[in-house]
Amino acid sequence: MSALHRRGFLGLSGAAALFAAGCTGSVGGGAGQPQAPSNTLRLFTYEGDETIDRFKGRIAEFDAEAGLTTTVDSLPGSGAAVYPDKLRTELLGGKGPDVWRIWGGEIGRPFVTAKQAADLAPYYDRLGWNDRIDGNAVAGMTFDGVKAGVPLNAAALGAFYNRELLQKAKIDSDPQSYAELEEFNEKLVAAGITPAGLGGKYGWHIMRLFEYLLEHTAGPELHDQLLTGAASWDTPEVVEAFTLFKKWQDSGWVPEGALGLDPSDIEPAFIQGKTAYTITGPWIESGQIAASGKSPDEFGTFVLPTDQDQLRFSGFVEGYMLNARSGNLENAAKLLDFLARPETQKALQNPGATVAGAEPDPKTHPMAAQWAEYRKEHAFYTIQDQAFPKKEADQYFTVQSDILQGSISPAQAAKRMQEIVSAWAKG
Amino acid sequence: MSVALQARVRAPGRRRRPGGGLTPWLFALPALLVYVIFLVYPALSSLWFSFTDWDGLSPDYTVVGLENYRALAADPVVATALRNNVLWTVVTLCVPVLLGLGLALALNGKARAKPILRLIFYTPAVLPLVSIASIWGWLYNPQYGAINEALRLVGLDFLAQPWLGQDSTALGAVMVPAVWLRAGFPMLLYLAALQGIPEELYEAATVDGASRVQQFWHVTMPGLRSAHAIVIALSLIDSFKVFDMVYAMTYGGPGTATQVMGTWMYANVFQYYQAGYGTAIAVVVTVAAVAVGIPYVLSQTREAR
Repeated sequence: MSALHRRGFLGLSGAAALFAAGCTGSVGGGAGQPQAPSNTLRLFTYEGDETIDRFKGRIAEFDAEAGLTTTVDSLPGSGAAVYPDKLRTELLGGKGPDVWRIWGGEIGRPFVTAKQAADLAPYYDRLGWNDRIDGNAVAGMTFDGVKAGVPLNAAALGAFYNRELLQKAKIDSDPQSYAELEEFNEKLVAAGITPAGLGGKYGWHIMRLFEYLLEHTAGPELHDQLLTGAASWDTPEVVEAFTLFKKWQDSGWVPEGALGLDPSDIEPAFIQGKTAYTITGPWIESGQIAASGKSPDEFGTFVLPTDQDQLRFSGFVEGYMLNARSGNLENAAKLLDFLARPETQKALQNPGATVAGAEPDPKTHPMAAQWAEYRKEHAFYTIQDQAFPKKEADQYFTVQSDILQGSISPAQAAKRMQEIVSAWAKG
Repeated sequence: MSVALQARVRAPGRRRRPGGGLTPWLFALPALLVYVIFLVYPALSSLWFSFTDWDGLSPDYTVVGLENYRALAADPVVATALRNNVLWTVVTLCVPVLLGLGLALALNGKARAKPILRLIFYTPAVLPLVSIASIWGWLYNPQYGAINEALRLVGLDFLAQPWLGQDSTALGAVMVPAVWLRAGFPMLLYLAALQGIPEELYEAATVDGASRVQQFWHVTMPGLRSAHAIVIALSLIDSFKVFDMVYAMTYGGPGTATQVMGTWMYANVFQYYQAGYGTAIAVVVTVAAVAVGIPYVLSQTREAR
């Protein structure tokens, strides 16, 4: 090879390597091609470290019963911020899992729109899921008429508190109104305790506070309209909600520097007694509280008071979808059918089971049982990161961030939210 | 050897082509195939998708020409990301290189503790990045983190900040661990290069009456010229491609304050279902990386002569 050729080759190689280093990602995966059938299944979930062994135990039971081998992969920790990306990459980069766990609403929708998730209507009819699973939850995983998911968990969010810290602050009753909640916070601060353990990294954790404040100021009807873009965000109710949101930070009712805190650090901090309460769901009882070795009796829970005639709380559904390209749809449906049995849901200690007959045991899971009753009595509003597509949700989180840092006023925040939501609603 | 014999040796029955003909290419073929399949094809494929509106999931897409590139110009987050990339590149290029050079100069000797010190300084470079991000995340915790605790302990309470939780400090706070972990790499390269500078040059300079500073500028620095080229080029490319540290520590936040081109590309391709737009960002990053990497490619080409 002449010097000229070698130079040319090296130069071309170097340039191509640099080019390739920046350009990543391709279609891959042979979209639309069904996989070959086999006796193996792969399930992808975001089960936490505290509950994954329990889950795998039930899957082993299913394998023994069905004569199949199911592999379970889990990506716990970051919530809806990272898991859907990983799932999407798996679906594009290879054959993807046969079964995956996913949230409803706008988080699950893209997999249905792209026809990655199978239409489960035939299985609903054949396996009797319609009779077994809560119809409202099924609606949360039905997209433009396509029953693309089997919702097995209907989650509701409220305040979960540390009894000892409340005693230290001489608080002996749950707040019954928003004004009482503010007093509740004041007493905690006066006792040197940080009230609400919420973290702003990823946006979705501290969002739970804002959406509650919006329910308080706007009320159920307007709140629902805001989430669909049917009403303008540029209203006094939204401005008031943003004003209160800022007040929570300025009054020290959320941790110092909450915006930079990771939810996977701040929730354990609540369990450890570093904050008086957090806004979460009853899964914390069978998850982090159980894993910490503490008794559920050390904690308590209440519905955040909204001062509205109709008391609602934030909620969402989550369940499972089947890979439309799986060569094992029948076996995958059998697995979902197994998971949708009341005895399986009881064994999984699912506090928000949508399957009749799987209600939590008040002796072992008092808070989950309490929330099962709340869910019967009260409706829920869609949690905001499921109400909006990810892009709009992130833009909304930026508004949250700006308001907490004081770089925009509540009125500007309301206007900016209107721009974001109206652009999405029009699109 | 006689002239006649030389002529016979140079003129065998079968004449070899200049450059070796196909043979070198056959040797290169296996590596070339891997390279084309796993690097060139995906890169070209990404380039193609940057001209489409592909959502990253659906099998169908439409060609939209330069629309994604036009949208880039109007995207305020791209402006933030670009500014952050430039800042990041300047800081994480200059500081680790200077630190690495300083450490290499300090450790280039025969004292007993030096091997251990080299190991200590290089250790951050081999730690998993996610662990580094978690460790520094805890150090930066506004209430319980060691950094604020230390500041409060020495009476500098006013300097305690929510480091990762405000736009004004978040990017700088992410740069600190990046500098910490990256100083070891230039240190190693400079150490190797320093050991290649003949001792006689320093002896001669000493005899000529050169001071330590003069020796540094007139003996050491010229001796490190090739090391400088490699360290700077690799650090530059590495800095421009920043993704992992920002993603793990701030997720691009608060808001979009610490977005860089890599994280913004990732958000669009993998989270917003705008793969066409995201790959357009990737192409821009690539073009910039190629532009800054050209001196490195040229230097490698010159060395291959």
